[in-house]
Amino acid sequence: MKCWLLILLILFSQSTLSADFAVIVSATSGIDVLSSERIRDIFLKKRRFAQGKRLVPVNLLGSKPPRLAFERRILEMDRLNLQQYWTASHFKGVTPPATQASLASVKLFIEKVDGAIGYLPIEMVDDRVKVIYEF
Amino acid sequence: MVWAAEGNYQLGQGFKLADWLTVGGYISTEYKKSDDHEEFVVDDLAFLAYGEFGDSSSFMLELESVDAFEFDFDRHESRTNLPPAIERLYFDHGFSDHISVRVGKQITPIGYWNLQPINVLRETTSNPRYSREMFPKFLTGVDIYGYTTFDDNLTYHIYMQSTGDLDDAYININIDIDKHYGFSANKQFSGGWEAGGSLGRFEKDGDFSTRYLQLNARRVTGAYTFVIEAISSLKKGPGQLADRRSNAAYIQGEYRYKPRHSIISRLEYRDDGNSTNRERIAILGYSFRPVYPVSLKLEYQWHTLSDDNQLQASFSVLF
Repeated sequence: MKCWLLILLILFSQSTLSADFAVIVSATSGIDVLSSERIRDIFLKKRRFAQGKRLVPVNLLGSKPPRLAFERRILEMDRLNLQQYWTASHFKGVTPPATQASLASVKLFIEKVDGAIGYLPIEMVDDRVKVIYEF
Repeated sequence: MVWAAEGNYQLGQGFKLADWLTVGGYISTEYKKSDDHEEFVVDDLAFLAYGEFGDSSSFMLELESVDAFEFDFDRHESRTNLPPAIERLYFDHGFSDHISVRVGKQITPIGYWNLQPINVLRETTSNPRYSREMFPKFLTGVDIYGYTTFDDNLTYHIYMQSTGDLDDAYININIDIDKHYGFSANKQFSGGWEAGGSLGRFEKDGDFSTRYLQLNARRVTGAYTFVIEAISSLKKGPGQLADRRSNAAYIQGEYRYKPRHSIISRLEYRDDGNSTNRERIAILGYSFRPVYPVSLKLEYQWHTLSDDNQLQASFSVLF
């Protein structure tokens, strides 16, 4: 009985620890890994470069689960905080990242636009894009 | 490729006409009442245009009609001032996250308050005397800035001005200067803390020169925001044997007890080196934002040095 409980506990902890989403760049990008803090700064447009390369962050349009997960886990901000942040940024002359209407178009944008960085569900990742962070 | 925007217009984030051009603006109205004066002012009426071009370049234009409309309740007089002044006009180029260059008329990168000076972005209608009277709010010159290479959480600015203001119709405290040099830095710490400071010198040829040291710290944690800023300066005038020291500081706390409602208290200190001119001001305020870019504020000020105790209220919008 104890043995079964232990196996269940291990399986449960593995499933909760595994990532649902990936931050990605194009497969040909020279960037291999970025910290969550650096990704946060890039999507808040506090930083614009990584490893000497100018980056172009792209968001999924609206309030779909991947975007909400990204905002909660990477940006660590809710919608009210983000509205406050981008309102102050408007006065500074900074606009939020570009958006794409669907996950497929986010992926295509990342493949085609030099320096693009975005996020997708793990199951959509293939050899056309490169994972640099999982969350 | 299909492009989609969040919407070309969002209140508080401007109207994106093209990738290289976003336009917007802001307006603020204020009502002030003290024992001997009562007035209503359309304080700011401003237009913003900015955008990115090329790989790493951008520009910003801000035109503002300062005190666009004033009505004096005691004299039953009104006044308008609609011709806009250039509040900001600059070009920016980023070489890397460590080095960017901004050239033109811009906000002087000193402390926190000065960088977020408009009514709608503040939590009180009034500005502390620290930000109004001690250093030039604007710089017409060059600012080299970025993250340092040795600390990911440390930013710096090296700024210099060697000319008059681009449009001296809009400067603060009548510090009409023609030289200004300075350095500032700010570091982010864990737990929502950040701190920094500035060191600089400004002068008017043949008239005066002023050296200053400024320090700032802020903590944002949950519903609470705590800010403290202080500056000390030494001013030397023509034929003056000794420098005259001035000091100013404020400490402000904000408690956001509901997502759209805040209570604010602030204590200010200011002295101009004369022992009879040491003023302390206490402020208690309330801020309500139905949506973040729309701000309604009310505050009461107690002054120790003058009969200037007063009520202030304002309504402001960033669009």
